[in-house]
Amino acid sequence: MGNTNCEEIKQQAEQELISVSDKQALEALRVKYLGRKGLLAQLMSVIPSLPVEERAAFGQAANVLKNELAELFDQKQKDMVSGAHKGNQAAVDISMPGIACDIGNLHPITQVIDEICNVFSRMGFSIEDGPEIETEFNNFTGLNIPLDHPSRDAFDTFYLKPNAGSNEKLLLRSHTSPAQVRLMKSRKPALSVVVPGRVYRPDAVDASHSFMFHQVEGLVVDKHITLAHLKGALEEFAKAVFGKHITMRFRPHFFPFTEPSVEVDISCIICQGKGCSVCGKKKWLEILGAGMVHPNVFKHVGYNHKIYSGFAFGMGVERIAMLKYGIDDIRLFFENDLRFLKQF
Amino acid sequence: MKLIYNWLKDFVGIKTSPLELARRLTMAGLEVKAVEEKDGDFVFEIEITSNRPDWLSVIGVAREAAAVTNSKLKIKNEKIKIQKPKENQGVKITIEDKKDCSLYTAKIIKGVSVGVSPEWLKKRLELIGCRSINNVVDITNYAMFTYGEPLHAFDADKLASYEIEVRRANAGEQLVTIDGVFRKLDKDILVIADKQQAQAVAGIMGGKSTEVTASTRNILLEAAIFDPVLIRRARRKLGMQTDSSYRFERGIDTQTALVSSDYAARMIIQLAGGNLICAREKGATKILKKTISVNYSSVQRILGASISPALMKNILAALGFGVKGSKTCFSVTVPSARQDVEEEVDLIEEIARIFGIENIPAEVPYVKPQPRARTRFDIISKTKNILIAQGVNEAITYTLIDRKLLELFSWPVDEAARLVNPLSEEQEFLRPCIIASLVRAAALNLKQKQPLVELFEVGKIYTAGNNEELVLGLVLCGKKSVVTQEAVVNIKEGFLRLKGIIQNLFSGLGIAQPEILFNETTAGFKVKLNSKEIGQFVKVSSAALEAMDVKYQEVYAAQISLEEILMQALPEKKFVPVSIFPAICRDISFVVQENISFKQITDLAHKTAGLLLEQVKITDIYRGKQIPQGCKNFTVSCVYRLPNRTLTDLEVSPIHACVVQALTQALSAQIR
Repeated sequence: MGNTNCEEIKQQAEQELISVSDKQALEALRVKYLGRKGLLAQLMSVIPSLPVEERAAFGQAANVLKNELAELFDQKQKDMVSGAHKGNQAAVDISMPGIACDIGNLHPITQVIDEICNVFSRMGFSIEDGPEIETEFNNFTGLNIPLDHPSRDAFDTFYLKPNAGSNEKLLLRSHTSPAQVRLMKSRKPALSVVVPGRVYRPDAVDASHSFMFHQVEGLVVDKHITLAHLKGALEEFAKAVFGKHITMRFRPHFFPFTEPSVEVDISCIICQGKGCSVCGKKKWLEILGAGMVHPNVFKHVGYNHKIYSGFAFGMGVERIAMLKYGIDDIRLFFENDLRFLKQF
Repeated sequence: MKLIYNWLKDFVGIKTSPLELARRLTMAGLEVKAVEEKDGDFVFEIEITSNRPDWLSVIGVAREAAAVTNSKLKIKNEKIKIQKPKENQGVKITIEDKKDCSLYTAKIIKGVSVGVSPEWLKKRLELIGCRSINNVVDITNYAMFTYGEPLHAFDADKLASYEIEVRRANAGEQLVTIDGVFRKLDKDILVIADKQQAQAVAGIMGGKSTEVTASTRNILLEAAIFDPVLIRRARRKLGMQTDSSYRFERGIDTQTALVSSDYAARMIIQLAGGNLICAREKGATKILKKTISVNYSSVQRILGASISPALMKNILAALGFGVKGSKTCFSVTVPSARQDVEEEVDLIEEIARIFGIENIPAEVPYVKPQPRARTRFDIISKTKNILIAQGVNEAITYTLIDRKLLELFSWPVDEAARLVNPLSEEQEFLRPCIIASLVRAAALNLKQKQPLVELFEVGKIYTAGNNEELVLGLVLCGKKSVVTQEAVVNIKEGFLRLKGIIQNLFSGLGIAQPEILFNETTAGFKVKLNSKEIGQFVKVSSAALEAMDVKYQEVYAAQISLEEILMQALPEKKFVPVSIFPAICRDISFVVQENISFKQITDLAHKTAGLLLEQVKITDIYRGKQIPQGCKNFTVSCVYRLPNRTLTDLEVSPIHACVVQALTQALSAQIR
């Protein structure tokens, strides 16, 4: 008789527990069964009225039930904490969109500039800027690029209407290198700077050309600066930005403002040197130009080239961003389509 | 430039494979962009830097190939075996200015048979992308590609006489060039003329009427040296570039001119027959040798690699330099083809190139630290980060804009800085204001059906005096839900969104909040900092928007001068102790006339409640059915607190009652 009762109570408790979903309801149920005046207490209260020979068995059964119920409630509580409800149904549909404030993104060009500048910052370089409207001297002559010389072809330039009453030819800088002239003219060596900024060239716009783009310029001047230092600094840079696994190559090249000059290639980060459409089967990607500052540049800014030496480098930010992110059209950077901007 | 392997092998005994040769040349600075196997030969596509005109020739590349592969050169600078000219008369050369033309040579070859070139010659020219014309013309081209000196052959019978003048073109002079184009010449253009008229544009292209054709019997073969700057200016002016102008612009030496003239003459006689009747030279035929000294220590000082003097000497000698060494330095004689070598560092570069830059160790420099408190770069970075944290995306727009955009935004075109040589009308002006370009970017996104567009840009604007200024631009459009402390507000009020973004920016940078004042002329707002105007809030005109295909949208924009902000941004912020005592908040909901500003309400509340009132926060603003027309319903929360002790209900209640009363009396608020 007692056993039947116990079994019923247990089944009833199990049934009721299923629909319980919060702590409060669980507590109420616990009180209903195990509380001071709960169902179990009521069951126990019958014992004194039972025949003596039945009391022991009944008491034992009730105790078993009490333990079972306690375990049921404990288990339920644990399940609720871990969220593992019966039927494995989570309390929250976690496939719903997360709840968050919108945050904006820095333009990929800014992100790449920051990354480049940070690498050099860690080596002790300071970050400077320079104007976009420049003099012909700073953009060309001071950098040992003679007027009417074929070396200027690479630096086709937008000229500005001159100011009234002035003969000075003004232009939109065609590279960030005029900042070198400005910095050296205004400071004494030693110098170690990077200069990010916009530059302009009259190039018709297509997937790989733009009349406006960004460069980062670098310049180190001190006693005892050598080509070996140029290689060391640029290897650090390339490995930090493109990954430790890349290999590099320094090819002699020509720039009017450096001598010796080099172009720097990295192993293709897309095909890992197997040859692909981006590196044009050459397995190498050109990432920057650099060299030892030409004595004529030092002469123009009043540094003694017999005491000081230095290296300079310049790189196109769009190109590096395109390689890093796999972007195939430079125009995307300046359209500012949110579907593009939000990817970075 | 294209070059073929077998042509190169005529002059250098290389055993290296074409691909390996390409790699070595590339690593020495003569970049081989591609190698293509074609018709049993290998075509090299090479990129030649503007300082190395000598590489614009097979012989120049052969010298380099010999140096990088340790091979022998096979260049025989033999004087051609031509019979002594029979009648040494007839050609007279006049050079108007030696600066324009330092050397002019002319050879008269009579009795040639102009016809097709032999197959080998045609094939070599075609492999490098040069069309075969006839044997005489092909030979002049072949000699040019071999030596680097452009040659020109005139049909001698079509010249008025054998009197050649090298002079500037007369005003109004004209010439039809070989390409059939009618050219107007002027005094900046050098011409080769007979007694009557210009017959060729010097160094660029010959004239149609004296072109060598199938009927030509007698030719005048020209080899000269022209002023590179003059050729460059003329070809730019005429808008034409030829293999000839390309080489003259970069500079050619006397030796090359003399040798290649002989070479071509010999070849013409061999392949087209005829006899050399007369050869004349005018100008400087002597070659001045440059001598430069190179200190061993300078090489180490610049390269950071120790290279033995013996190795340096070998490298320079292999490149054709004459080298005499002493204990500390070399005395180096520069071959005439190497006009580019002018000083010690040029020779250091030669050593580095052949030594191999890959063989120079890499060493991270010790850079003298240059500590600076906070740079512009840091503050700009921070500015951008505060903006993106508010959900605004960074844009980068073109700083060059068109006239239409200026007009749409009512900017006086005459006051804008302008390019002299724009690429197209699209990029004629330097933007005087950042807003227009940002609105254009917003329009593009609106056309993509973006529900919300919030963009900012940090960039330059330019003024008429060619000055530039760094500004922050903001553009907003669409609906945004903003979670404030106590409510979700659906922002329609673009001006207030602009204000919120700017306020966050200023407080983030540690700058005092700006004043924002109504601007009657634009119906927008002026932003002032320390009573100096630093920016504008505007609502973009619907006319401008419609011109960009944006309809039924309100677009708000701002421009703030960053120069002022960069100066004001504080490196440090001051801590204000937070109160440990609880606040008592009392809400009031009331209806007021539309013309009552929130500031009037807060001012009145503070004036009435005094020090106890810490803050009046707005929790809701409502206009609608239950509210009379022309009115708005504010719900505000008054926060009462003292810094030094806990306030009681008893203290707050009467004061709050006074606030409520003041609102009712002074602002005719109806409490709800």
